[in-house]
Amino acid sequence: MIKKFLEIKNVDFQIGGKIKVKNFSLDIEKKGEIICLLGPSGIGKTTILRSIAGLEKVENGSIKLKSNLLSSKNSHVEPENRNISLSFQENALFPHFTIQKNINFGTERNKINGKKFLNPKKIIKILNIENILNKYPHQISAGEAQRASLTRAVVSNPDLLLLDEPLSNIDENFKEEIQVNLKQILKENKITTIIVTHDSYEAFYLGDKCGIILDKKLRQYDEPYNVYHYPNSIHVVNFLNRGVLVPATVTGQYTLENDDLGLIKGNFVNEHRIGTKVKLLLQPEDLEHDDKSNLQLDVIDKKFKGTNFIYTLRTRSNKNISVFVHSHHVHQHQISDKFGIKKPIHIKHLVCF
Amino acid sequence: MRTFNIWYLSSFLISVIVIIPVVTVFLSFFESTSDYFELLKNTFLFEYISNSLILVFGVLFLTLIIGVSTAYIVSFYSFPFSNFFKWALILGFAVPPYIYAYSLTAFFENYGTAYTILKSLFGEFNYNLHIPKFDGMIGAILSISFSIYAYVYILTTASFYFQSNNLIELGKNLGFSKLKTLFKVIIPSARPAIVAGLALVAMETLSDFGAVDFFSINTLTTAIYNSWLSFDDLVFSNQLSFYLLIFIFALFVIEKFSRRNAKYHSPLQGGFKKKQRAKLIGIKAFLAFLFCFLIFFLSFLFPIFQMLYWTILYPKNFFDLNIQDLLLNTLLLVALSSVVLIIFSFISNYGTRVNKSRFLNFLTTISISGYALPGVILALAYISFVAWFDNTIIHYFELQSVKKIFIGSILGLVIAYFVRFYSLSCNGIKSSYEKINKTLDETAYLSGYSKLKTFLNIHVPYLKSSIFFVTILISLEIIRELPITLILRPFNFETFATTAYIYASQDLLEAAAVPSLFLVLIASLFILLISRYILKENND
Repeated sequence: MIKKFLEIKNVDFQIGGKIKVKNFSLDIEKKGEIICLLGPSGIGKTTILRSIAGLEKVENGSIKLKSNLLSSKNSHVEPENRNISLSFQENALFPHFTIQKNINFGTERNKINGKKFLNPKKIIKILNIENILNKYPHQISAGEAQRASLTRAVVSNPDLLLLDEPLSNIDENFKEEIQVNLKQILKENKITTIIVTHDSYEAFYLGDKCGIILDKKLRQYDEPYNVYHYPNSIHVVNFLNRGVLVPATVTGQYTLENDDLGLIKGNFVNEHRIGTKVKLLLQPEDLEHDDKSNLQLDVIDKKFKGTNFIYTLRTRSNKNISVFVHSHHVHQHQISDKFGIKKPIHIKHLVCF
Repeated sequence: MRTFNIWYLSSFLISVIVIIPVVTVFLSFFESTSDYFELLKNTFLFEYISNSLILVFGVLFLTLIIGVSTAYIVSFYSFPFSNFFKWALILGFAVPPYIYAYSLTAFFENYGTAYTILKSLFGEFNYNLHIPKFDGMIGAILSISFSIYAYVYILTTASFYFQSNNLIELGKNLGFSKLKTLFKVIIPSARPAIVAGLALVAMETLSDFGAVDFFSINTLTTAIYNSWLSFDDLVFSNQLSFYLLIFIFALFVIEKFSRRNAKYHSPLQGGFKKKQRAKLIGIKAFLAFLFCFLIFFLSFLFPIFQMLYWTILYPKNFFDLNIQDLLLNTLLLVALSSVVLIIFSFISNYGTRVNKSRFLNFLTTISISGYALPGVILALAYISFVAWFDNTIIHYFELQSVKKIFIGSILGLVIAYFVRFYSLSCNGIKSSYEKINKTLDETAYLSGYSKLKTFLNIHVPYLKSSIFFVTILISLEIIRELPITLILRPFNFETFATTAYIYASQDLLEAAAVPSLFLVLIASLFILLISRYILKENND
């Protein structure tokens, strides 16, 4: 049997006696993998990280890291003996230390144990906090504090790095650059990481795998592409909020029929018998704009998203569906205009429930 | 309870030590006592209670007026020396009520300082008839009020500091005059802070021993002391204490409740806009200055000048007094008590922090109730308990008496101070502790720090200034403290406070001036050291 790097088996994650996530199992196969956990606020993502770090005890199931048992009902390795680093969502910088000293704090354990740690200078440069090193936490912005805290967690080169909403306070225009840099650091140094976030794009970019936690359960744990294109339940679809479910009838091996949109072609992700009534996931990129089409829908809203517009269209049966159109597309529409959809509709993955 | 560890043990121990005096008083209530109690119940008890109430209401009235008006003026207006007065008005706290009482009497008594001044200005005449006499109840009310109005002043200033300018602007917007804004907006929203300050004042007044004893007013406190001293009837003292504790308990509840409400004035709720103090000019500036100066003069300069005058007038008293010994004794008590208090406060606070236990929280709440116990009650209940312990437990096991170890010893004093001032120390550390985000502890653990190392390397450095503040606060209280020291001190062991009291009780006010002066000077120095902290930190 292949040894797993991290093995979480049937754990009930709880805080203050209240179970937040039930019967949670998740494996990380190899060192250096990055896992992102997604879920709505208050669902218990942070509790999972705190329990893995050893800050909360576990009453059911077990957590093993590199085959060593860390937590179970009868055993609990103290956080200081786990070599797991956690970067908290809220600012957890020591207010009486400068940023430099705060960052050095991350490497103290390595110095005592003679363990390798990462070169802080390099990470400081990559995360662009060189100019705040001599300042105190109250003198810097929330975004800078978050990057400093991230640096401190990363430099210790832990066996497992846990990041709780690591980029939530960072300015939007700067976020993408930090995401790229962060991924580069983690991959270069093969740091196994679990990232908790509510931003699905961040999760899809950073994670080798993504876990979706909903209603106290891990609903889906898969590669980002699969989570996005093959959501395994209506719960996940609703959470990701990337499309609408329209009623349809399966008419063939590769076809189904919707009253408003007509024939839809594609490959079914799951098998469905002909004649079955299903709900088809329709994502904005599934439909194509075509002025000449005889399928004309009313535009009821139009959002400018920079690289594209998202049109909200109303079908005859009063259903709202979204369509992406590149913002350089020659023919844009206004609210109340008619908007043509290319027929027949062809969707690569037919996700039906 | 999941784990029983050192934190539980120490918190439990502290609660037991603090609760002993209360239980002793309570149990004594049901014990039989000398006939004196019956006699007294039918005769003087009413007088004791009514005197205590008159005193409390008199002091509350005066401290309310002085405390709130000065707090309002220095918080909302800028005038010459307004920043100086902001902290100088706390200095009155350095003069304990009994020392104020000595100065007041010394100045106004027949042929006193006032007489001397008038004589030197206008020549020989019998001025005594025209000089008002501030003795008896009036004297006690004045002495206590000027000494402790700072409680109201400090808490009200803190509350005013956090009153958002929006509130005041809202008042203006509604067309309120300045006076109407004061009574309709500013004071009502500072009410919880004012009530908390007044509750503290009332507690201190009921506990006061030195000033009322000096003016020979029979209050519950002096009756408790006298019944012990004159009739050697500890049970009776404790029974009187029971009545007093009922008052105190009511005040304790009011104070707790008000403080909880006082938190509602936190700027964290958002919308806080810092005030710009209005600049006063001309006659208004002069009047504001005059009023603050008057209070500062009456509360601080007046007793200082009076004592200084006597010290200079009778230098022999200065040279007769063994100041070095008194200083060393005072410092010894201060140092020992501070160390013990700080250590236990740390243990208790840290224990509550790492254990997250409700039971431990409950124990801590009990432990901090000691400050409501008047020194006289505490000292006598302590003696009662040790005597009981010695007569029953020790006697039963046929061991050597422990009375001498615990009564009339430095250890006994430290224990009694501990009970009295534990809440001061514990809450002082707690309020700073609560400002350290718990994630900092967790970050330290995750970086490989043990709990002990986190405590030593993270908490202690972070709390340095608060340790300093609490130490000074404890020291200030201990050097002002009179009844506990008086009752429990070892034979021939004197402090500035007890020396002043002994001279004054022998009608040697001139001699009492020197130790009083030293006491006030040291206390002022302590206040100066922490004045910034009181005015700033208290605001958080």
